[in-house]
Amino acid sequence: MRRVVQFAAVLSLAASAVMAGTVIDAVKVKSLKGLKCGTKLIKKNAKFYKVEVYPQTTLHMNDKKANEINKNAKGKVIEVAALTDGKQIAILMRWPDKSKDIFSGYKSDIYPDGYAVQFASDASDPQKLPYIGMGSDGRPVAIYLRKAYDIVYEPNGYGDVAHQVNPHNTNYFGKELKKFEKEVKKEGLKTYQRAFVSEGFRSMTEIKDNSINYRTDMHYVNKKGMWGGMVVRPLDDEYAKPVKGEYAIAVAVWDGKELQRDGLKRLSSWLAVRLPGASNKALEKVVTEKVTGDVANGKKQFEANCASCHNNRDFHNAPLYMAPDLSNIGGQATAAYIKESILNPNAVVVPGYNRNAHPNFSWYSVDKKGHRTSTMPPFNFLDEKTINDIVAYLQTQKAEVEK
Amino acid sequence: MSKRQLAMVMDLNKCIGCQTCTVACKTQWTNRNGREYMYWNNVETYPGSGYPKNWMELGGGFDAAGDLQPGIIPNIEADYGVPWDYNYDSLAEQNLIDGKPEAGWHPDQSPTWGPNWDEDEGTGTFPMDNYFFYLPRICNHCSNPGCLSACPRDAIFKREEDGVVLVDLDRCQGYRFCIAGCPYKKIYFNPKISKSEKCILCFPRVEQGLPPACAQSCVGRIRFVGFLDDEESQVHKLVHKYKVALPLRPDYGTQPNVYYVPPVDTPPKFDENGKVIEGSDRIPMEELEKLFGPAVHDAIKTIRAEREKRKKTGKSELMDILIAYQHKDMFRLDHNYYADVAKKKGMQPLPLVDERYVAGKYTKPSSISHFKVHA
Repeated sequence: MRRVVQFAAVLSLAASAVMAGTVIDAVKVKSLKGLKCGTKLIKKNAKFYKVEVYPQTTLHMNDKKANEINKNAKGKVIEVAALTDGKQIAILMRWPDKSKDIFSGYKSDIYPDGYAVQFASDASDPQKLPYIGMGSDGRPVAIYLRKAYDIVYEPNGYGDVAHQVNPHNTNYFGKELKKFEKEVKKEGLKTYQRAFVSEGFRSMTEIKDNSINYRTDMHYVNKKGMWGGMVVRPLDDEYAKPVKGEYAIAVAVWDGKELQRDGLKRLSSWLAVRLPGASNKALEKVVTEKVTGDVANGKKQFEANCASCHNNRDFHNAPLYMAPDLSNIGGQATAAYIKESILNPNAVVVPGYNRNAHPNFSWYSVDKKGHRTSTMPPFNFLDEKTINDIVAYLQTQKAEVEK
Repeated sequence: MSKRQLAMVMDLNKCIGCQTCTVACKTQWTNRNGREYMYWNNVETYPGSGYPKNWMELGGGFDAAGDLQPGIIPNIEADYGVPWDYNYDSLAEQNLIDGKPEAGWHPDQSPTWGPNWDEDEGTGTFPMDNYFFYLPRICNHCSNPGCLSACPRDAIFKREEDGVVLVDLDRCQGYRFCIAGCPYKKIYFNPKISKSEKCILCFPRVEQGLPPACAQSCVGRIRFVGFLDDEESQVHKLVHKYKVALPLRPDYGTQPNVYYVPPVDTPPKFDENGKVIEGSDRIPMEELEKLFGPAVHDAIKTIRAEREKRKKTGKSELMDILIAYQHKDMFRLDHNYYADVAKKKGMQPLPLVDERYVAGKYTKPSSISHFKVHA
């Protein structure tokens, strides 16, 4: 019986080995003009790849209800495809979500569904991709975000003060009032889409100077209980360019029903998107790399070397904010990143979501120039096999995937 | 920590719960544009549910070790209360002769909760030991703000110049972790723009020589405004010299900068026969200690002692301050300081709107050429 279980475990690992990290072939189409969710162009051409997305658990946020709901959040299988017309690239996504959560009305505690596509600005050294969550110092990412808002307004009303008052603050009645309300509504944004550059948590900054060219679309299919989403952007712009015809991208989805927003999300690992005819073996290798090693020994080594600061699925002894939580690292980080972090913790120092929240447990120090130095010492004294086993073990650290 | 801190002191002994501050704030800032439900300033009855409902139990703030605590984001209908409106429109439009006119006016919804839902209820049994007092609340512009610490976007900042805590609406993404992090629940979500907003201590007024609207409009003159490091300011004297003004719920660890003079004299309780129980206090000290910390005992002692002194000698600076003779003494807004800050930043200092409250550590009355005291 025990052997059977073990065999099954190996099998399931093997299955996830195929899934982990995906290379997506962008399909060449004539034009991306008029591309929207559900258009024929997609049905005819798009080749969807299954991608696993895992709950982001590196950081714990401070919303009590959301934390309870997301405590045992599972991973999801979503589908990602890419289209290109030679000038632009479209990233298409579809993912299961039983409830269509749109932010609308006068509410304080509901959250919309949403998705984001993140492009590594520079993927020329695939061993040193940006931190998967939000980029990292000197390794920026461009993030395209779309959320399911019914209507949302600009805080300054584009300087139109007259339309920022309530109907009963006006002198209008009847038809005039209806006209006023119509004009107010016209100032609302129907599409909540934003583009950001980011070099790590807290640094995410919206691009508001019209220097970025992109569009998004989002559509819910009731019958299937699925969202569809897409981002179209130029092949090459100042925020991200392909390297040898390939991009490193990552995707994230938010479920409003689970009170998800910001860091409470499901996030993929780095994916390689291959333009037609391109080949970037180095990037493909990094995003699909599945380290084979002695997982059991890796666990032992993790306990000895890492578990006093890092929590994960098996070890929960470290203080909560001592170091990033590694419970889903296997679903999100590449083997190269894990290895880099062990050998050179200062290469990427994940900033805490707010330095004031847990001043006693900062996993890094910040100098006057804002450079972060990790509290973690380099573990370069470990031999190669040990590191390899730890990486293999950490690659198994991920939530169960929702069937 | 900011270089200087503008602070407010509220004397609870004189608050009559008239809500003039609430109205002043609302008409100035929150009667429009998604802010309708918000009360940046509210006056609640204590004991009572407060606003939002049971805010003291919703988490946030810091524990003794300095770690931010998780909190709950209140619901608009159940915890804040959605402001209702009346059918003015149909009343104005309906045909009173031909049609069937609608009788009277009615609200457009049936509210189940709102600010001051339990106003003046208090607690205890009438007439034996019932009691309540009013607790006006604004954002505390904390030195260690829970909202700021909770923001994953660095969208909340504390102004260097005067310690006012503000939301950068360009950075705010409406995640609402700040609301969970603020133990006073004094930062609100604006559903129209999907961003957080809060009391701004009327900084645009202060920069031009006007005290915050709530303070200036207060009919009981319970609110003092000034810089904590300005030893001449009554705020400094109440907080640091006499130590009679205390922060609300200091145990939350946010180091608030709004201070309260606790209620000192409460009538004695009656026994079952309607006789006065000598030496008893209607407001239990435990409640005051819960609100203002253990320092409340000394604060009350000081006030009583100073009052005796005043009775005997006719002199007491503290009593003179608490009587609040003149607005111009209660508000010290240090206009030259703001003008200097503006100049240093290469900005045009804003013109002065009111000359009565310009004085301050860096603003001697004589340094304003046209300084004069209005009668």
